[in-house]
Amino acid sequence: MSTARSPSTRRAGVPAWKRWLFRVSAVFVVLPLFYLPAYFHSQELNRGTKGLGERELGEIAVGPWSVRFAEWRVEQPFRNGEAGYAKSFTLALCDTCAKQVKAAYLRVGKPRNLRAAGSIFFGSPYRQSVALPIPERVTADAELWITLEGWDGSVHQAALPLAEASPITIEWLSKRGNPT
Amino acid sequence: MTPTLRRTSATLARALAGGLLCALAGAAAAHNPVCTCESVDAQRIRCTGGFSDGSKAPGVTLDVIAYDETILINGKLGADSTLVFNRPKGEFYILFDAGPGHVVEIDHAEIE
Amino acid sequence: MSAAVPAARPAAPKAGRARLWFLVHSWAALPLWIFMFFVCLTGTIATVSQEIVWLADPAVRARAPSADARLLGYDEVLAAVNRASPESVVQSISRPVKSQFALSVRVGNPDGTSQSIYVNPYTGEIQGTDPSFNFRGFVRALHGWLLMPFTNGFNLGWYAVSLLGLPMLVSLITGLVVYKKFWRGFLRPRLRFGHGARVFWGDFHRLAGIWSIPFILIIAITGLWFTVQAVLGDLSISISSEGAPPIVAREDAPYTPDGLPPRIVSLDEAAAHASEYLPGLQPMFVSLPGNAYDHIVVAGRGAYPLLFERLHVNPYNGKVEYVRRVADRSALELFTESMRPLHTGDFAGLWLKLVYFFFGLLLTMMVLSGLLIWTKRTAHATAAMLRRREEEPDGSVAELETEGAR
Repeated sequence: MSTARSPSTRRAGVPAWKRWLFRVSAVFVVLPLFYLPAYFHSQELNRGTKGLGERELGEIAVGPWSVRFAEWRVEQPFRNGEAGYAKSFTLALCDTCAKQVKAAYLRVGKPRNLRAAGSIFFGSPYRQSVALPIPERVTADAELWITLEGWDGSVHQAALPLAEASPITIEWLSKRGNPT
Repeated sequence: MTPTLRRTSATLARALAGGLLCALAGAAAAHNPVCTCESVDAQRIRCTGGFSDGSKAPGVTLDVIAYDETILINGKLGADSTLVFNRPKGEFYILFDAGPGHVVEIDHAEIE
Repeated sequence: MSAAVPAARPAAPKAGRARLWFLVHSWAALPLWIFMFFVCLTGTIATVSQEIVWLADPAVRARAPSADARLLGYDEVLAAVNRASPESVVQSISRPVKSQFALSVRVGNPDGTSQSIYVNPYTGEIQGTDPSFNFRGFVRALHGWLLMPFTNGFNLGWYAVSLLGLPMLVSLITGLVVYKKFWRGFLRPRLRFGHGARVFWGDFHRLAGIWSIPFILIIAITGLWFTVQAVLGDLSISISSEGAPPIVAREDAPYTPDGLPPRIVSLDEAAAHASEYLPGLQPMFVSLPGNAYDHIVVAGRGAYPLLFERLHVNPYNGKVEYVRRVADRSALELFTESMRPLHTGDFAGLWLKLVYFFFGLLLTMMVLSGLLIWTKRTAHATAAMLRRREEEPDGSVAELETEGAR
């Protein structure tokens, strides 16, 4: 594993930068062991065996329907390329409404109308997810609005405080100097 | 390809859905809509649309809508992914609309 | 690197240059050998990971009931899965390249879990589900990004692994420069047993090296492409000519009087469109809409086997709303999108995977043999140098050059 076990004569021939390079490269080989638990946690999360997300918020009534809602990962918003920062949330439609709901949307703040309802969820009725853009201007008292569009044309909405949906995002916003 | 898949809504979901799509290098990957608007001068506003992965959005709908929901301008982005239009009077918002659930909304007050 | 320059003395410029090349050759990969070895080994296993799963798990094998058995269509597969677990929602069906593999059907279950169901492509029999440990995914993640999470863009592991392409490329080039008239090695291959380990591993290193020139070149360049890809991704620089992603228009998805989902286009119909628009395409993958405004996507390989062609079918009216052919790609995209399949060798079937596996093993062994040569030679050279230092200070060049020229 280490060049250090070689006799001192050879050691003299190996410059310090090479020995450091070797150590760094050896660290890379050991690193996967360190990441193993997180890797398996991710796998289980993706598979759904750990529930809807890392932090489930329980049942939320949306008009005559309801959804189970979860923060996908208890992590700060992630950088989403040109689209700024985003947070992933998941939901599951209630047993009775799984077939009646055409689409689910999520938005920070109350939508003006269905067309502007925000980002659409993707997945099965039993677990669908969305990467919600978190604009820079979002304040700590912001609300997440869930919009459900029915196959019959009806639209129902519910709001929940962002502080409840993702406390870590509020923490992140205040660290970035947003007004609280 | 899993890594790039993690990054946007459709892509996260596809990653959840698993399957072969990850092999379709870049196929449905990385597509959250992006839109920015700025004042060109006292009268005109220029909006630029695109997607999170840096790709352009030529031909995508961009509507300028009054607060009372009247559509003031029903526009489409040009080949350069931008649209320049005259600032309407009163209060309005801009909706970059790449399809249901793929929208960016910009309030007139946010335009600098 | 400048440390090497003193060797190039004006008295013997040619020999000095050879020594310099040789030093660069030994520096390129040696300090990184353990990491290089790890990545080569895991990559080699990854090339046949699907086959390893095939050997280990009978559920992924496709057993034909008779020699003339007919393959089921996508709708029949869908129906078979719906019969077996009526509550589950089918998300996609993929048909592996090789006929000896079962179909893999991705489903979402009512308890919120998702899994792959292995379905016999001839009988529709449910043969099993994927185990919670995904061996193939694990080996890929270990090889490609050291299992690190992708929290914000590409991770450190991805960069570290893909950057190994650089020392690999340098090793190849300097190795060929140092190995004088290396083409002779093709005509007179030499692998001497019985002359000691040093001679054997030296012969092996050179022989494996020259026969692996194209393979090493492919792996190094495609590996470096992954670095470029990550940089582009992290800087949100798109080279894609695809334009806006296809999304079903709101007015195409009808509201229904009974408030239940409308019937959508059959998968076989969607697949038929694929062969209509993309003649010669073998549909290998069908994904069902992920929400009410998503398309049915059919994808497969066409005449240029490295890339997938795909088309998006509107689930409500059956219209083909988006087609992505090989011909739709820019020259740059053809090049960059070919990088990944070239790296993995998964586009032509088992034979190519075995070729990649074999050369992957050789490459892994080259890291080890390089190390062995170095340890043995350095011990020698150091001893010799110490001896020479007492006699004449200038004689080290010749010895090194012959080492390299073998």
